[in-house]
Amino acid sequence: MGLRYVQPAPGFKQYLPKDYVDLIDFGPFGKEVDASQLGQFKEILEEHPMCAGCWMAYFVRVFYASLPNPEDTIVLGTAGCARLALSQAAVPFIYGNYGDTNAVASGLTRALNLRFPDKQKDVVAIAGDGGLMDIGFSMTMHSWFRREKFTTIMVDNEVYGNTGGQESGMSPKGVQLKMAPKGKKFDKLPATELAKLAGCVYVVKIAPTNIKRLSKVIKRAILAARHFGPTFIHAYTSCNIEYSIPTEEVLKDAREREKKDFGFEEYMTDEVRAFFEEIEKKKKEVRA
Amino acid sequence: MYYVARVDEEKCATYNCKQCTLFCPEANTLMFDEKKNSAYVNEPRCKGCALCVYVCSDLLKRDCITMEMVTTE
Ligand SMILES: Cc1ncc(C[n+]2csc(CCOP(=O)(O)OP(=O)(O)O)c2C)c(N)n1
Ligand code: SF4
Ligand code: SF4
Ligand code: SF4
Ligand SMILES: [Mg+2]
Repeated sequence: MGLRYVQPAPGFKQYLPKDYVDLIDFGPFGKEVDASQLGQFKEILEEHPMCAGCWMAYFVRVFYASLPNPEDTIVLGTAGCARLALSQAAVPFIYGNYGDTNAVASGLTRALNLRFPDKQKDVVAIAGDGGLMDIGFSMTMHSWFRREKFTTIMVDNEVYGNTGGQESGMSPKGVQLKMAPKGKKFDKLPATELAKLAGCVYVVKIAPTNIKRLSKVIKRAILAARHFGPTFIHAYTSCNIEYSIPTEEVLKDAREREKKDFGFEEYMTDEVRAFFEEIEKKKKEVRA
Repeated sequence: MYYVARVDEEKCATYNCKQCTLFCPEANTLMFDEKKNSAYVNEPRCKGCALCVYVCSDLLKRDCITMEMVTTE
């Protein structure tokens, strides 16, 4: 990763805010860092207003530490909790109307290919369950049907968290929420199955309990989208506020859900599998 | 008044461990000092969720982190 986009002109460094200077001196730029070194370098994510102990905030933290090439990445978000942190990082962030991430990302990916034909730009849309599977549903599905080459990540807290607890298509059947007091009558939408049917070339379901695995799938989803087509990660990122989970038990809850109904699943097409095998083989040759 | 996490650095340094730093939801908050071989908390950024206590005490049985009440002057 290059340092150029954060490197100030000579003489200006002394006038910059401390967090910016820390990013130049101790940030990940120009080094090989990965998410398993969190806590030992200055992260590109900054302070943000998401709640204490929020597992979605944790996901955003690991996401920014896992980008294969942050200086050429553009992140798209929408109304919902995640954007409160997604927008606070040293990576360009686009915020549209609620639910339109995948329409904007489709146009953006095509425009970047025209404008920078020799450069790889990574586009990642991250939105909530309401943003992607309810209100933005048609745009999500059509970006997949059209085989648009970018990554979609659903941070699924199984509720409209940002607006105080309405049920979403991804809320589990029977669950009672503040603004759905009678209990949900329908099943949780089969998001990863829809993604496979609609043509995603790499699809993952994951509860963030293992940082190495989470970081690896984020990287894989972005790399596969560069060459082959749409990719999708469905992550369980609990809302401790709307589901009344004591903050110190948020990781315990994720581990329990992983055992119960959020077990790790990774699907990829044969050509994507061959592509990753080739990369792993080259890495081994370098190490040998 | 609010809660922040504090690491017993001497005790933490007796282990070869960085686990809690990998589970804090906040960026640039629960850091690791390689010279001291210990985790430490950047207190103004800590939101007091105590997830790190769960990792250190409940999962690892190392009991190096406590939640402490601080006041702003
Ligand atoms: C067009 C439009 N409709 C409604 C809203 C209000 N609104 C803001 S966030 C949100 C729901 C968020 O739920 P989700 O997408 O699951 O994200 P979460 O906050 O749970 O992470 C809604 C309905 C809006 N901002 N714009
Ligand atoms: S409302 Fe829920 S999802 Fe939103 S920041 Fe708070 S804990 Fe996280
Ligand atoms: S989990 Fe406990 S022992 Fe391990 S680094 Fe953190 S404070 Fe130290
Ligand atoms: S209490 Fe929460 S925010 Fe503070 S250091 Fe521990 S895990 Fe991080
Ligand atoms: Mg939601």
